[in-house]
Amino acid sequence: MTVREFIEYTNKGSIDLDDFYGKYNESLEEASRKFRLFITLAEGTKEAAKSSKGKLRGLPVSVKDNICTKGLQTTAGSRILEGYIPPFDATVITRLREEGAVIAGKTAMDEFGFGSFSQYCAFGVPRNPLDPERVCGGSSGGSAGIIAAVNLPQIALGQSTGGSISAPASFCGVAGLTPTYGRVSRYGLIDFGNSLDKIGPMGKTVEDVAICLSVISGQDPLDQITVGKSEDFTKYLDDSVKGLKIGVPKEYFSDGVDPKIRKMVWNSITLLEENGAKYSEISLPATDKGIATYYLIATPEASTNLAKFCGMRYGASEPVEGAYNEYFSHVRNRYFGPEAKRRIILGTFARMAGYRDQYYLKAMKVRTIMIEEFRKAFRKYDVLLTPTMPYAAPKFSEIEKMTPLQQYMADMLTVVPNVAGIPMLSVPCGNIDGMPVGLHILGDYMQESRILQVGYAFEQMREKK
Amino acid sequence: MKVKIGLETHVQLNSRSKMFCGCRNPVNLDMEPEPNTMTCPTCLGLPGSKPRTNESIVEKALKVAVALNCKINNEFFFSRKTYFYPDMNKNFQITQYEVPLGIDGHVNILVEGKQKRIRIRRIHMEEDPAKIVHVGGLGGKHTLIDYNRAGIPLIEVVTDPDFESSGESRIFLQKLIMILEYLGVYDSASRAVVKSDANISLSGGKRIEVKNITGAKEIEQALNYEMVRQGNIIKRGGKIEQATRMWNPDLRVTQELRTKETEEDYGYIFEPDLTKIEVTKKDIREAKSEIPELPDEKYRRFIRQYGVSQKVAESLISELDIANLFENIAKRISPKVAGSWISGYLKKTLNWNGLTFRQSGLKPEWILKTLKLFESGKLTDRNAELLIRKMVEHRKEPGAIIKKYKLEKTGDEREVKRIVKGVLDKNKKVIDDYHKGEEKALHYLVGLCMRETRGRVDAQQLRKLILEMIK
Repeated sequence: MTVREFIEYTNKGSIDLDDFYGKYNESLEEASRKFRLFITLAEGTKEAAKSSKGKLRGLPVSVKDNICTKGLQTTAGSRILEGYIPPFDATVITRLREEGAVIAGKTAMDEFGFGSFSQYCAFGVPRNPLDPERVCGGSSGGSAGIIAAVNLPQIALGQSTGGSISAPASFCGVAGLTPTYGRVSRYGLIDFGNSLDKIGPMGKTVEDVAICLSVISGQDPLDQITVGKSEDFTKYLDDSVKGLKIGVPKEYFSDGVDPKIRKMVWNSITLLEENGAKYSEISLPATDKGIATYYLIATPEASTNLAKFCGMRYGASEPVEGAYNEYFSHVRNRYFGPEAKRRIILGTFARMAGYRDQYYLKAMKVRTIMIEEFRKAFRKYDVLLTPTMPYAAPKFSEIEKMTPLQQYMADMLTVVPNVAGIPMLSVPCGNIDGMPVGLHILGDYMQESRILQVGYAFEQMREKK
Repeated sequence: MKVKIGLETHVQLNSRSKMFCGCRNPVNLDMEPEPNTMTCPTCLGLPGSKPRTNESIVEKALKVAVALNCKINNEFFFSRKTYFYPDMNKNFQITQYEVPLGIDGHVNILVEGKQKRIRIRRIHMEEDPAKIVHVGGLGGKHTLIDYNRAGIPLIEVVTDPDFESSGESRIFLQKLIMILEYLGVYDSASRAVVKSDANISLSGGKRIEVKNITGAKEIEQALNYEMVRQGNIIKRGGKIEQATRMWNPDLRVTQELRTKETEEDYGYIFEPDLTKIEVTKKDIREAKSEIPELPDEKYRRFIRQYGVSQKVAESLISELDIANLFENIAKRISPKVAGSWISGYLKKTLNWNGLTFRQSGLKPEWILKTLKLFESGKLTDRNAELLIRKMVEHRKEPGAIIKKYKLEKTGDEREVKRIVKGVLDKNKKVIDDYHKGEEKALHYLVGLCMRETRGRVDAQQLRKLILEMIK
């Protein structure tokens, strides 16, 4: 049963929500136990579903734990926010609830979103449901994992700063949409890098994702950077790619990408070509500055965002001893995890007087070059196609051996589109040794309709094949 | 010893809402609200909350920048200034850094009859942090924080080090406050606060920053104290090292906060939650068109149009309500009479009671009636003064007060003669003294008669009458 069918049936009354939630909650609890996908499971979902109304009536939604849910613990995956119960709903949650969706729980994530594998988690590291020896991907690992683990109608919310929707979508074999920066309100999102943060839907299929985007997108007076009206994105979903102009940026097929993945993505492009699309190879020369640029923008912002967690108003509190600076340091030292500390130090360094010009401000300038490269490309091409990740989900034993820089390099294919703020969709395009591989469809600003349509058509072609 | 002073002045604006959220701005409320009752997720900095720019505040700030003759940047943005302090809910303040609202302006002040130009380096907008209350003073056991203040809009006006005395700093601050009141962006009768940090250096010494100076009165006291303190150190052969001090208004001294070797590093980044603000030429034109007649122009016009003296004009313009009152009345009676009474006895009485005209509750028509009675000879000098004093005291219209205190000049000559005769009969010795050539004795008799007639008769008239009767 697809999400569309589920909503149709619940609205007709032909689904017994008692039955459904009995089954759903059992699966959720089992998956959560086996794969540690949740930080908090919501209570009373069955009752909430039965009394709900709207376009998503009774549909369960799992939410990344950095999105505030009124009355339900929200930790952003950090020990420092353990027990924090927000007094308000994020705008996306308000919109979902208004349309009858039911919040099923809060999913596991890297602390504040700091990670590519969901390994820096304060409350248990999620395991990939397709192979528990492997990572879910990060930082929206729990959200992707639950979609992969439970074969029932549902959606999940992820959030991306540098690739945190696409990476776990790719590793878990689900669809994940990172919208244009500003398309979806960030009000109620616990900030990582405010100029980069995007909330986006994850689901089993492109259609599931489109249904969710239709509800959560659109301008919000509480988030000044939001743009665009909300609309029904499912109306764009058709299976024709005739005349579609595809750009294939060669920098995204470098030696750092697993050759099997390169081949698989090329096969996907060929499949599209067979169905009437045309492609050209192009070049985006700024791509190799991606990781540096991303970290020099994201971490300075993150280090200021995390400043409020000092045991004064926010963050765990301790008996106050000594001067306030000593107290703040003590609390922060005790409750922040290692990656949070690393990024605070990195980000604070990059904005210090004397370094600010050559790091933070320079990165802001490089960002405009990246934006310009995409703008130019999208004047000629409808979409750009690349691999989502340079490899399939690695094993825990493999990531343990990586240096932080090697870990950061996992995002080499996702950071530049994220820095530029364009929309992107990761859809499964094959398997390597049983582990899924993601195809990344990049679109021009506000062209979610286009990438969803291409993703949908691609899904249909693969099914037929 | 030569002194150089520069000021950084923060003014709480009188907007309806706070700078980055929809909470009421508490400075405008009649009553001080209970602590922490005017807050929301945004001004508390709750995780997930986002700021949004209150455009009406940008418009107010823009007017200030235009009025202070600044160059307006056609695009500006907000930044995060990061430092850890208990009054900062986010541990960063949203302010402006690289590109502020306005730069390179100036204000002219009148120093000993001469115009002096004070350069304005920049004007920017920022949010006020929360208020810290140390229960039982700095050595007390605990500290309370009131987030009602968090997010109140501030403009910061930074001057060049152009002041050569504490008095010039005070005159500038008075002028600045006057301009802000004229613009309608600040109200001295509200609880809005004007706070300055002063940078002061004596020749041969390093720069000392003095923080926490409230209003125009304290600025002179604080700077005088600091100049004497530094002067004494230099006289004793000591050296002034760079430091930050705090003005303690209760003890009227400056106290050392920290000595700093280097400038503090606030690690500024752009505020990524707020969009850039564009200011078009049309916006600037509109701001200009909304700027009312400012104090300098009004001063010149009052002299030109009403023929009042420079001194009277200066006094009249210092408070917008007073200037408006004058203009209202000067159209109906002699402008010179209006000018001298309003700038003179009325202002004196208000100052004595510590009130602005608005706070006094006086109505313009009361003042008009009083001065009309005086002008037409129905009130004596003395009783016109008394009437003003009693109106301020009782907040009642003049008719009632005249009746209560019997202030109207009497026209009954027979009655006056009877009173004077009574006084003269009891003071034969004084009359003798006068005849012996003591002029003072006559003044004394006039005074006695004034008291007996309760000021309802002119002194001149009484004098004439007495002289006739003792011839």
